[in-house]
Amino acid sequence: MANAFVAAFEILSFGAIIVLIVLGLGIIASMMGIFNFAQGEFVLLGAYITYLAYAKGLPIWAGMLAAPFVVGALGFVLEALIIRRFYAAPIVAMLGTYALGLIIRESVRGLIGGFYLTVPEPIGGSIDIGAMHISAWRFTIIVITLLVMAGCYLLLSRTNFGLRMRATLENPSLARASGISTPLMYGATFAFGSALAGLAGALIVPVFSLYADLGLRFLIQGFVAVMVGGVGSFIGPVAGAGVIGTLSAALPWIMAPVVADVLVFVLAIAFIKFRPQGLIAGKGV
Amino acid sequence: MGAVKQAIPAAIGGEADVAMDSSGTAKQASTRKILPIVEGVVLVAALLAPLLLQDYLTVFATRVIILALFALSFDLVWGYAGIMSFGQALFFGSAGYGVALLARDLDITNIFLVLPAGTLIGLTFALLLGGFLLLGRHPSSVIFVSLGTLTGSYAADRLARGWYYLGGQNGIPSIAPMTVGGYEFTEGPAFYYLVLGILVVVYLLCRFLVRSQFGLALAGLRENEQRIAFFGYKAQHLKAIIFAIGGAVAGMAGSLYAFHEGFVWPNMVGVVVSTQVVLYVLFGGSGTLIGAVIGAVIVEGVSFWLSDNYRDIWPIILGVLLLFVILFRPLGLISFVLGERERVGSFGAKPREDVKANGKEKRNAP
Repeated sequence: MANAFVAAFEILSFGAIIVLIVLGLGIIASMMGIFNFAQGEFVLLGAYITYLAYAKGLPIWAGMLAAPFVVGALGFVLEALIIRRFYAAPIVAMLGTYALGLIIRESVRGLIGGFYLTVPEPIGGSIDIGAMHISAWRFTIIVITLLVMAGCYLLLSRTNFGLRMRATLENPSLARASGISTPLMYGATFAFGSALAGLAGALIVPVFSLYADLGLRFLIQGFVAVMVGGVGSFIGPVAGAGVIGTLSAALPWIMAPVVADVLVFVLAIAFIKFRPQGLIAGKGV
Repeated sequence: MGAVKQAIPAAIGGEADVAMDSSGTAKQASTRKILPIVEGVVLVAALLAPLLLQDYLTVFATRVIILALFALSFDLVWGYAGIMSFGQALFFGSAGYGVALLARDLDITNIFLVLPAGTLIGLTFALLLGGFLLLGRHPSSVIFVSLGTLTGSYAADRLARGWYYLGGQNGIPSIAPMTVGGYEFTEGPAFYYLVLGILVVVYLLCRFLVRSQFGLALAGLRENEQRIAFFGYKAQHLKAIIFAIGGAVAGMAGSLYAFHEGFVWPNMVGVVVSTQVVLYVLFGGSGTLIGAVIGAVIVEGVSFWLSDNYRDIWPIILGVLLLFVILFRPLGLISFVLGERERVGSFGAKPREDVKANGKEKRNAP
């Protein structure tokens, strides 16, 4: 019983991490039609900023708080300077964002060297339920993920900003005609997606420690999750991330990790092949 | 696809215009001959290289030639058919692993067995993956194909890392050298000329292929897939065929690479090498075969030259350069010397002079 509970917690917490990482990727892919190869590096930057705060002697949570804003601001600037030119051509966008990601990743690698740098958990210790111990920080990640998910959903579905964003996605020319500044909306959407990636990086760095290929590790999983969930909505990628995250955390419990690793991807690609619209089809929130 | 669309106005507005404005048809005829000159220069340079370079540089040059062969395979798929294969290393690396296993477990190192075997492995994997991704009732989206190939390559990387039989993280070290009869191909000029010979033969075959009617259909596919389908071509089949051919070429390059380096390791099937080949072709110029070769030479050469002194910042420079190429020179470095008209080229066999003179009215087809 206790073992099953711990396993369930592990699976849930890994699922939450994948959802957190995919949120930003999914918003950018769904709302702008761009598969952002630099997303993993935004995650890395968020992690790096948290590490920097820690290394300078600031409280860790201050770094975690700053990370989304800094990365979001960077995303806004990059969108205005570079990403903007790619909207018409999704493949070129992939290559361009790949180049951006390469620049960011190698710069960070230059800054931190080839090391694995650890950042302590801001909330240490474990939560004890009877004989079972679960990591307090992983539990916090789950809670924050749920809050961020709810926040994003409300932002997109209930606020004026979300309405403009969705209008821009669904019919840019009509949105422009209605007086919405679409370039600004694209910039804001991209910045928002980047900020989420920065937050994800900041939150996961105590779990995975900081190294230059941190973002790359999640990028492909993230893409697959977005495709499985379905591009075009907010809920789709989140659902896909839930499925992929749960599968990749659960399968190693019942089979060899190597086989599980590969099987997740094979299953996902086969699923997308036969259901290209993904789990949740259609546009909207 | 997008790169090409963006680029055409740029190229036409750029040098092509200048060339035509200045002296009409005569100049135009002469500009049409740049491509063979570029190819000739590259070939002569490649032939002379081992005579001028020191031994360790010849070894490096051999590696570059093999990578150029690999770049050629990606260029066929992306530059000519517009299929974004982000997992080309899957075919390169699996062939490398295949021949490494042949050499390790079965002691087969004869060049006439291992090269066809590697090519066949590449072809088979490309047929399987390409068939799965490209064929089917509904045409696959460009995004799906590119992410599907990327995922395939990533999954293969993970598999190779975790599979003990394939050597896990360390790969398969110390592969026996390739042999023909009693002769062993070790690193050096002989290996270099062997690889160069193979590259030239494959290059010529590819050149014939992309300038044939099949190549014309491919170019149509790249520019406007729907229209090609309306013309009655089986667009998906064409794509699968060129994807398989690309896989075969990549497989041949991979088996040469395995024997040249003497070992294979998981990165060879992974995302790193897959993206590297994309870099070569984008730098050199996709949609021209020689562009892929030049791109491989330049990227590898500059990286070799810089990595001694600027090892840490070289990847950053590479990223910045790549970004500039994508933004401002979508057709790659080759577009500095090659006009759009020549890049597109003409297709099929040229009509004979006498037929052209007599039957101009009757024969419309090129």
